[in-house]
Amino acid sequence: MSHETAASEASAAPASADPAVQRPVPFRGGGFVHRPLGSVAPVVFLAILALWEIGARSGFISPIALPAPSEAFGALVDLATTGMLWKHLGASLYRLVVGWTLGSLLGIAFGLAIGLFSLARSGLLPLVSALFPVPKIALLPLFIIWFGIGEGSKVATILFGTFFPTVIATYAGVDNVDRNLIRMGQSFGLSWLSIVRKIIVPGAMPAILSGFRISASIAIVLLVAAEMIGAEFGIGAYILMAGALFALDQLIAGVALLSVLGLCISWLIGRAEKRLLSWRS
Amino acid sequence: MYRFSRRTFGALVLAGAVAAGTGAQAADKINVGILSLASHSPSIIAEAKGYFAEQDLEVAFVSFQAAQPMAVAIASGDVDFGMTAISGGLISLADKGVIKVIGGALQETPEIEGQKILVSKAAHDAGVTTPAALKGRSFGITTTGSSFHYMAHKIADKEGFARSEIQVKPLQKVPAVIAALKSGQIDAWSIVPNIASGLTKGPEVVEIGKVSDYIDNYQVTTVFTSTANVADKPDLVKRFLAGLSKGIADYNAALVDKSMSEEDTAAIVAMIHKYIYADQPLDKADPRIRAGAMRINESAALSLASVEDQLEWFKSEGLVPEGVTMEKLVDTSFVETR
Repeated sequence: MSHETAASEASAAPASADPAVQRPVPFRGGGFVHRPLGSVAPVVFLAILALWEIGARSGFISPIALPAPSEAFGALVDLATTGMLWKHLGASLYRLVVGWTLGSLLGIAFGLAIGLFSLARSGLLPLVSALFPVPKIALLPLFIIWFGIGEGSKVATILFGTFFPTVIATYAGVDNVDRNLIRMGQSFGLSWLSIVRKIIVPGAMPAILSGFRISASIAIVLLVAAEMIGAEFGIGAYILMAGALFALDQLIAGVALLSVLGLCISWLIGRAEKRLLSWRS
Repeated sequence: MYRFSRRTFGALVLAGAVAAGTGAQAADKINVGILSLASHSPSIIAEAKGYFAEQDLEVAFVSFQAAQPMAVAIASGDVDFGMTAISGGLISLADKGVIKVIGGALQETPEIEGQKILVSKAAHDAGVTTPAALKGRSFGITTTGSSFHYMAHKIADKEGFARSEIQVKPLQKVPAVIAALKSGQIDAWSIVPNIASGLTKGPEVVEIGKVSDYIDNYQVTTVFTSTANVADKPDLVKRFLAGLSKGIADYNAALVDKSMSEEDTAAIVAMIHKYIYADQPLDKADPRIRAGAMRINESAALSLASVEDQLEWFKSEGLVPEGVTMEKLVDTSFVETR
């Protein structure tokens, strides 16, 4: 009971005060919102680099454990001045673009089929689940026989690596499309194709695009594996060569190139998200 | 029921620690890196016959898939001794002052069958019947700066065409090179005789020459250890090499010179089989271990001329820093050099 009296007194108190001097109610919402702090990321990055450089120069970090960032940068400059950088980048980008595009297109096609047709779902989903966890690297000797040691096996490795996550992202996206929207389309008498084109595909698009982020990163990871087989040029081949020669500065330079590649691809997918998902705003 | 009290637990831990402590005093524990290749047998024989125990060494074997990780493990101190081909990675680590070559192992000698140059059937049909015809052909290697890379370029040098005319294809692992050669994806390869003989039995691969025609006294593999061991424990290194030398003598007598009795040879093959071709039954592995054994230098003697030639090749290809010298790479104080 005391609760109620206390509450009624509390609610009565403002009412009893003079209505003319109304206290402004402070806005207590907000918070838990991220502010973009553009300058923090570069500062953190530079601080880590500086610490690393100091550690390497002072001998705290042994040269066989990690080379100084300046040495890795020197290796990058060497790459650029000899013109090898473009040869390596060109070869790797070709493999990435072809392998990822084919893998994603096939993945979306299979994912949509699994999402839309019961027959495809029953037949293909177990197959996808069975083949997804197979490490593509373990199949490299077979890929040599199937696709040759030319571009075929490299593109195939990336294609297989990106295909499965795309399938799963796509059918999960289709499954998560709001059923009410589909029913609304049906009650408006839209044809099956219209519903797929105007409701299901746009509705699944956010999931497909976040699937792209994952599959693009997997493609970059697999680049090193793909370029294990008979690759003369390519960032992966460069990293493998640096590892075999224990040239750590080149190794770090190659890894940094892959990171930059990952950032660029992530930025491109961000642009695609803005464009393709503009209907959401 | 017996209750495991904290006090008995403490007593047990203490007893265990004391036992471990006294064990370490009795013999020096060392880790030896091996690859599953017949050329690594001497350490296995030395361990099985107790030659390391005679030197007060307790040996544990650590298996590796390739030479490069073994070199890195020695640099990090996880492994004490190893035996592999001189690779770019090994020289880079020597340049950083962490590992040293201390002896020689496998060497090409004129009287013993050595490494073979192989071509695929397709290339053979297309006219690659001598190594001279390898100009413009592809050649399988494991990694840039591996012994295969060196051999390919030495063939080019001696046959008088530019090194760039022979296209080397890095395929990372020996099984991948075998797959590529068998299916005709690459034209040529060179490999030790016991693998070569297995390949040339099939119709897909043809032998066209010998590596020893192109490289004089090729020191294929060397024994190496960390610089820390050389500097701080020279006695340990000497004892390891003494034990290893006895293993080498037995290996040569049993499998290369075949001067040992059949009974003793079979015993040695059985010892080797514990680590090499262990996934096959002994009667199947036996001929594979015996086939094409190559001579391992008595007392781990080292051919400096060959090592120097290899170092010069690495430098000329820009695969190792310019500043590496023989002094940085090799410590000649432990074994006889020639």
